Amino acid sequence: MIVETAEAVKIAGRSLMQHKLRSGLSVLGVVCGVMAVLAMIAVGEGAKEKTLKQIGELGIRNIFIKAVSLSDEQIQIARERLSDGLRIFDRERILSIVPDVDDIACLIEIRAAVISTAHIEFSPQIVACSPNYAAIQRFHLSQGRFLNDQDISGNHLVCAIGADVARQLGINGQIGNFLRIENELFKIIGVLDRYYRDKETVTTMAIRNINEMVLIPLGAETLLASSNEVQKEYDICALTEMIVLIKSAETVFRAGEVIKRTLDLSHNGVKDYQIIIPLELLRQAQRTQRIFNLVLGAIAAISLLVGGIGIMNIMLASVSERTKEIGIRRALGATRLDITLQFLAEAFMMTLMGGCIGIVTGIANAYIISQIAGWNTSVTFSAIFLPLVMSISVGLFFGLYPAVKAAKMDPIKALRTE
Amino acid sequence: MTRSAWYGLKMIMIPDIFKHPTPQQDGAGGRANSWFNDISPLPNSPRRGGEESEYLQYPVIEAIDIEKSYWMGSTVLPVLNGVKIRVEQNEFVAIMGPSGSGKSTLLHILGCLDRPDTGTYHLGGRNVLAATDYELSRIRATQIGFVFQAFNLLPALTVFENVRAPFSYSRINKREARSRVENAVARVGLTHRIHHRPAELSGGELQRAAIARALAIGPKIILADEPTGNLDSKTGFEIMNLFQKLHQEGASIVMISHNHRVAEFAQRVIALMDGRITDK
Repeated sequence: MIVETAEAVKIAGRSLMQHKLRSGLSVLGVVCGVMAVLAMIAVGEGAKEKTLKQIGELGIRNIFIKAVSLSDEQIQIARERLSDGLRIFDRERILSIVPDVDDIACLIEIRAAVISTAHIEFSPQIVACSPNYAAIQRFHLSQGRFLNDQDISGNHLVCAIGADVARQLGINGQIGNFLRIENELFKIIGVLDRYYRDKETVTTMAIRNINEMVLIPLGAETLLASSNEVQKEYDICALTEMIVLIKSAETVFRAGEVIKRTLDLSHNGVKDYQIIIPLELLRQAQRTQRIFNLVLGAIAAISLLVGGIGIMNIMLASVSERTKEIGIRRALGATRLDITLQFLAEAFMMTLMGGCIGIVTGIANAYIISQIAGWNTSVTFSAIFLPLVMSISVGLFFGLYPAVKAAKMDPIKALRTE
Repeated sequence: MTRSAWYGLKMIMIPDIFKHPTPQQDGAGGRANSWFNDISPLPNSPRRGGEESEYLQYPVIEAIDIEKSYWMGSTVLPVLNGVKIRVEQNEFVAIMGPSGSGKSTLLHILGCLDRPDTGTYHLGGRNVLAATDYELSRIRATQIGFVFQAFNLLPALTVFENVRAPFSYSRINKREARSRVENAVARVGLTHRIHHRPAELSGGELQRAAIARALAIGPKIILADEPTGNLDSKTGFEIMNLFQKLHQEGASIVMISHNHRVAEFAQRVIALMDGRITDK
């Protein structure tokens, strides 16, 4: 069998070389198919990777609990039911009731004007947070330190600033300088590392852009409230956000369920909060992505199918054109198997060649797509392997019929043809 | 599904090579055609798979009561009606007959390209009608050299590659095949043309190349189908001289022709008429 195959490959290769243009065009069909499949998978995988990265930035083990702003009627109902938003005691309650909770960070967003000592006024996002915020969100500092428990307990007027804020402040953004927020001076004790996130990620995933944040200790917001007319109207103690860190990713869903019920109870059924589980988003994204990939792949596979039909067409033409040769080879001692292998090898080689060229052009295509359209593409192992396997099986499938047809010919009749 | 389609499929799925036991290596000592041993020898054969020389006692070709008919639409067209032919070792036999006498069909049967409807056929003492299609192909590849009227060289291949082509279908190592090809080409006097393609050769040279191809495998028998039919008389004469030379060197040849002058080169002429051997 191996000897026969080797001979068949030799003969097939020679016959392909005889018809360079014809074989080349058939190969081109396969090239297009493979290229399309590869590029589609690369685009799909790229999009998937991007979504996963976006969601991954939220943290797989995290559960976000965000305060929801209510309409007037809803506020009325909330008051009747004695629910006044997310509170610090919700944190305690979750910590004591929900199993597997590692830590909970609390955030309060503050609207206030920031004036640096150099009197540059700009509007970063001011967030009062608990010191574990940095650990849960995995922030790193390029200078200084982050807020710590002493800052909270000692009511220190300190702040950590994001990379963009530090850059805007220039020399005044270095640690040890002061930043004026409303009427209070906050000493800069740390500058956060720059985080590279594109605008899209920030908006679609509602992730805080930490590069533009000023972080002050939780509790310091009360100081600011006294001097802030706008804030006075609202209850300053209501938390904007809680981030619950779960001990392991496996228990995130269970913990999320318990948190939901706990809050439901303590808030007397008032939906003044929203629970976001990144892992859930991740699962959803994966599901939609899978469908998306399947559709793209199916469309691309059709072009590969067309390529395969082209191969079959050319092989059928080749078989009837070479009837005489088949007769001669049969007379010289070729078995039906030899003839089958010869033609099958020809189809196989064409598709294999098409597959290889298609992979190279497909990778180039994916690169061009990512450059021109700005889409994220990713050439994964499956993006290369799948179209290659598909092209080879298309070659075998569509090559089989012409090859069997050739092998079935009566050698005497084949010899008589001119 | 038609029967032939099913056969074609079966052929793909179960190559014959898997359906038969592997060749016995005791017989012809692992020679290229040793697989042949598992085709039953004559019932009175002294020993299965004996030495090559033992078969010398058998005629090269012994065909008895060969009958063959074709279906032409709804009517049966008898082509061969009980042909009996026996060709000894190193015999040069010409089969003569007008067109339609069935000589081509007989040659195809003798060449294992076709099977008779009834009759027995032993090639070198072995009953080839018991062989499968796969085995018949291997017999053609190793024991039968065809020379055709229209040369039937593969136009894309050089003379060397054409002569080498049958070795694609037999288990002979490359070096051995190469030396056999070169030797055969030299015997027909075409060494200077060995790397030319058929399109660059004259008619006589083409037929020489075809004869070299038949010769190279070291066949038991050379079957020539009107070898001079496409040649002018001078070249035809040269080709016949070549056949005679090969015969003197020990080859067994069966040639069909309708040309008396060509048939005169043979030792013995068998006349075929309407599918029967007629004694002159």
